[in-house]
Amino acid sequence: MTVTKTHRPALALRGVGKRFGSNQVLHNIDLEVQSSEVVCLIGPSGSGKSTLLRSMAFLEEYDDGEVFIEGQLLGWEPGLPRKRTSRAHLNKVRSTIGMVFQQFNLWPHMSVLGNVTEALIRVRRIASGEARQRGLAMLEKVGLAHKADAYPAQLSGGQQQRVAIARALAMEPHIMLFDEPTSALDPELVGEVLHVMKQLAADGMTMVVVTHEMGFAAQVADTVVFLDQGQIVARGSPQKLFHMTQHPRLQQFLQNYLDRNAFWQDMKEEATA
Amino acid sequence: MFDWPTLVESLPLLAKSLLVTLESSLAGLGIGFVIGVLVCSLRLSLHPLWRRLGGAYIFVFRGIPLLVQLLFIYYFLPRIGLPNVSPLAAAITGLSLAAGAYIAEILRGGFLAIPEGQLEAAHMLGLSPLDVLVRIQVPQAVRLTLPALINEMILLIKASSLISVVGLAELTRTAQNIAASNYLFLQTYLVLALFYCLINIPLACAGGLLERRLKRRLA
Amino acid sequence: MIFDPTLITERLGDISNGLLVTLETWFAGVAMGAAIGLLIAVLQVFGGAWLRALLRLYIELIRATPFLVQLFLLYYGGPSFGLELEATTAGILGLGIYGSVYFAEIFRTGFESIPKGQLEAADCLGITRLQCIWRIQLPQMLVLILPALVNLVTILCKETAVLSIITIPELTMVMTGIGSETFAFVETLLVLCVAYLVLIELSSRLGLFLERRVGRFLQRQST
Repeated sequence: MTVTKTHRPALALRGVGKRFGSNQVLHNIDLEVQSSEVVCLIGPSGSGKSTLLRSMAFLEEYDDGEVFIEGQLLGWEPGLPRKRTSRAHLNKVRSTIGMVFQQFNLWPHMSVLGNVTEALIRVRRIASGEARQRGLAMLEKVGLAHKADAYPAQLSGGQQQRVAIARALAMEPHIMLFDEPTSALDPELVGEVLHVMKQLAADGMTMVVVTHEMGFAAQVADTVVFLDQGQIVARGSPQKLFHMTQHPRLQQFLQNYLDRNAFWQDMKEEATA
Repeated sequence: MFDWPTLVESLPLLAKSLLVTLESSLAGLGIGFVIGVLVCSLRLSLHPLWRRLGGAYIFVFRGIPLLVQLLFIYYFLPRIGLPNVSPLAAAITGLSLAAGAYIAEILRGGFLAIPEGQLEAAHMLGLSPLDVLVRIQVPQAVRLTLPALINEMILLIKASSLISVVGLAELTRTAQNIAASNYLFLQTYLVLALFYCLINIPLACAGGLLERRLKRRLA
Repeated sequence: MIFDPTLITERLGDISNGLLVTLETWFAGVAMGAAIGLLIAVLQVFGGAWLRALLRLYIELIRATPFLVQLFLLYYGGPSFGLELEATTAGILGLGIYGSVYFAEIFRTGFESIPKGQLEAADCLGITRLQCIWRIQLPQMLVLILPALVNLVTILCKETAVLSIITIPELTMVMTGIGSETFAFVETLLVLCVAYLVLIELSSRLGLFLERRVGRFLQRQST
């Protein structure tokens, strides 16, 4: 599939800053995400990567700068002093974004299919029969059509996260934001979620992913962005970024992962020996 | 000591008036629930003015004795151009307004127990605030607070005995009338107490059962 | 609706008498309810199975019936079994009995919140059960149950309004009396509402103050 890259980026951040009280958590962030690009945000905990991602959905109200979703300013009216846009306008700009959370955030009192079709029926005003068809198709995509009538509590964490992805995809977003989608999962369940995400990337979805899964970043990302103390310290293709030696913080961060992998490698070798 | 034939004679009348008691307390619970949801939303709103307003509602309607509220409404409604308000309407209004304040406080606990992320997910999908309230928050809050809401129903059935003061022939008022004519005060009022027990004790048992089940599921 | 303040000022004597009766029945009812409630809770915790079942029945019956019906039984039904009480006495007794079951539930929760180990320790030291309740359990649980106690006390304040129905001349009775003499129902009832709100607010303020005091006493002990 060839994707024509329009001049306008899918997502653009210009000088975005965010404070919690007197604590500046994001400094002057500039970032562009092109259509069909996969960007991974990495960095130590507390580096502001989740706050940055949440700012891209206006779940955090950024204080400075601008976030453009397909050319439209997100959350604020143009000009100063800052004034929130109407909810209707915010929803309109947001409607091209799908969000997946660390804690899944499924609605426990609705069935799996109910979770997926709720917004189709209430927001898109699609008839329930058709919504059901689309919901089942989405669940098929994440391999969970057979669980349509189950309730979230009856599913494993990995299955719940796949339902959450289907719920977001049902609204046909152009951009998908993932906030540490595998961090709340038991290690053996991480793979199934990453598999769905890889497929999505292969289908040409524009994605921004906050993650600790370096393997996923190396394999799938077009661009990896390293954040530290609320600033973008380094960015580039995975091959390039993982070999940048001029940034001591990045080196240290990556070394932690390599050490851990080396440890597992040693264990495996010992076990087979 | 017991004059059984006379007592048995009064039973159909009491049973009929039990319907008025149940009707007014159920209506009070239903309308009170809607008021409770609204007041609770005010209390949890981001805007301090709305929060104050919700707090004031709860302060007033929980602070004033129900009997005084009922009398006030009964005499006040004609003053504001509603002269033909029936005692039943006045009674239901009074019960609903008071129940709304208590239910608001009950629901607040339930609302706060719902993880914030679920609401963020709903906002991201574009659900309107009303949809979030009606489809996501209320159903879960009710499930979490069902035992407390059943308890509120018991309180309302008991409180409805006070609507006898606005002249409504509910259970207590009917028993009063019967006792005044047969002079069997103790016996008639014992039967009256029995009527309340027959409704409220099963309700209390159901509430206790639900509460234990909820605790087990959350544990 | 123009409010004529002379309605109130002219009858200030009656009104303050009514307020006194309200306070008197309230305080006496609270004291009695707390005493019976504590007794019930102690018997529930330490009594045998039969006694516990009997107390449970008492609690369920009182909780299932309206306060007004209990008052009717006591005041109008009492003479049938030789219990002829003055209205105010019947009111206080009724409020005490009604409150006792709620006090009992609060005290029982309090007792159950204290670790068993402390009682075993006291047992080993040869401390009697009564001493144990009075010296070890009550002081500790008071901190925990104080908010619930304060809440119950304000509820009982509101219940005193019901006493007007069995002709006790408390505040509600006096004010509705003035209302029916002058036909200024709305005005007098409005004043009555404000009076109760002030009473409730004062008692919950006092409760908060006590909670802080008791809490402070505990903190000082633990450090």
